[in-house]
Amino acid sequence: MVTPNGHGNGRAALEVTGLRKAFGSHEVLKGISLTARDHDVVAILGSSGSGKSTFLRCINLLEIPSAGEVRVKGELIEMTQRRGEPAPANMKQVDRIRSKLSMVFQQFNLWQHMTVLENVTAGQIHVLGRDKAEATEKAEAMLAKVGVADKRSHYPSQLSGGQQQRVAIARALAMDPEVMLFDEPTSALDPELVNEVLRVMRSLAEEGRTMLVVTHEIGFAREAANKVMFLHQGLVEDEGEPRALLANPNSERFRQFLSGSLK
Amino acid sequence: MQVFLDIVREYGFDFLEGTWLTVQLVVISAILGFLLAVPVALARLSDSRIVAATASGYSLFFRGTPLLVQIFLVYFGLGQFGFVRDSILWPLLREPFVCALITFVLNTAAYSGEIVRGGILAVPRGEVEAARACGMSTAKTYRLVILPRAFSICLPAYSNEVIILMKGTSLASTITLLELTGMARLAASATYQPIQVFVIAGLIYYLMTLIIARIFRVLEARYNRYITDAR
Repeated sequence: MVTPNGHGNGRAALEVTGLRKAFGSHEVLKGISLTARDHDVVAILGSSGSGKSTFLRCINLLEIPSAGEVRVKGELIEMTQRRGEPAPANMKQVDRIRSKLSMVFQQFNLWQHMTVLENVTAGQIHVLGRDKAEATEKAEAMLAKVGVADKRSHYPSQLSGGQQQRVAIARALAMDPEVMLFDEPTSALDPELVNEVLRVMRSLAEEGRTMLVVTHEIGFAREAANKVMFLHQGLVEDEGEPRALLANPNSERFRQFLSGSLK
Repeated sequence: MQVFLDIVREYGFDFLEGTWLTVQLVVISAILGFLLAVPVALARLSDSRIVAATASGYSLFFRGTPLLVQIFLVYFGLGQFGFVRDSILWPLLREPFVCALITFVLNTAAYSGEIVRGGILAVPRGEVEAARACGMSTAKTYRLVILPRAFSICLPAYSNEVIILMKGTSLASTITLLELTGMARLAASATYQPIQVFVIAGLIYYLMTLIIARIFRVLEARYNRYITDAR
């Protein structure tokens, strides 16, 4: 499907094949595959415990998948076995790929001891090797984009949740990522602060950023995403084009989920 | 009152000299001890069992035996080993000042190591994940996020350790060092006025404690701004 903002029109940015993850004997992910092309916005829905956050965290190896493959821009993340457990074969490769997959967390996870500006420049300087002036210029542009430019010398603890999350988005954007991973970015926010973050995320979708968004915001999934994936008990229960799928789910379980969420 | 003035007039310079030696012992031990505390803490948290057990054994020994015993072991014990006496470091190692310093550094690093370890463990997991997720290596994550965060978390507890260290240096007087307590003991036996002499020594220790507390207040204002500003 091709849309005016370029949705679904690009080459594969992220390919996940047969991803599995078990914690002990408990299998959380039972083989999930996903291809996100450049400019895709994929909304990942599911009730709690469905494995959607774990899925996202397996992509950038914050959790080590038990099996399966992850390719970013065609490059396979190499895995090996260490003491009988799967482990990344090459941490340098993992660090390099992580810098292309910016993540935005539910709890913002800004570095509390750094100012807003330092939060947005640290990764640019110490991971991408940009010089300070260049990083600062980029950071200021990104902070302006998310509407918190005036907070640059504040510490995170002085900001509201919505402001902190927007700084976290600026921090992610400043890395010029190939794919942005959002892990329930609005779930820790007061209801009236949710919209300021969603507005920023919508504008990112419109400008053609490739995004994977784990969310409970059905409205966002319908209007900003070009693909919806519903996870249930560690498997893809339903997936498709948002408007059609949300209006008329194939899966009974997804139908129940949607009627329960009342949106 | 007259007695105090006489003692100050007679022994004032000695007290200053003793205080200066105490200050040297405290400052050098605190700095070296803190620098050693970071690797001790990292070793205690290491995945390698051998490294963690070694650090834990070191830490338990120095926290589990009296400081005075440790001073005696280093001062009287080192010379028992032929290889120590034959080493080129022996002229240094037989100096009581060096022996005291070694003991204080090892002792305070064992305690501070626990403080730093607690600080590292108190760094929110999410902030560490955010560092890893943007591509920082383990070393960079420690340098930019974990250690600076742990440092500010540790600061209030660490001021305690420095104050305790400062008072512990009085034990150096037992191995012939004339730091503040050593000087006071000399003055007390020369004047037969132990109460007045030790009141003066106690006041000087108290003043030094106030100075240490003040220094840490300044450090906290600087490095814990991000916590205090939000209140």
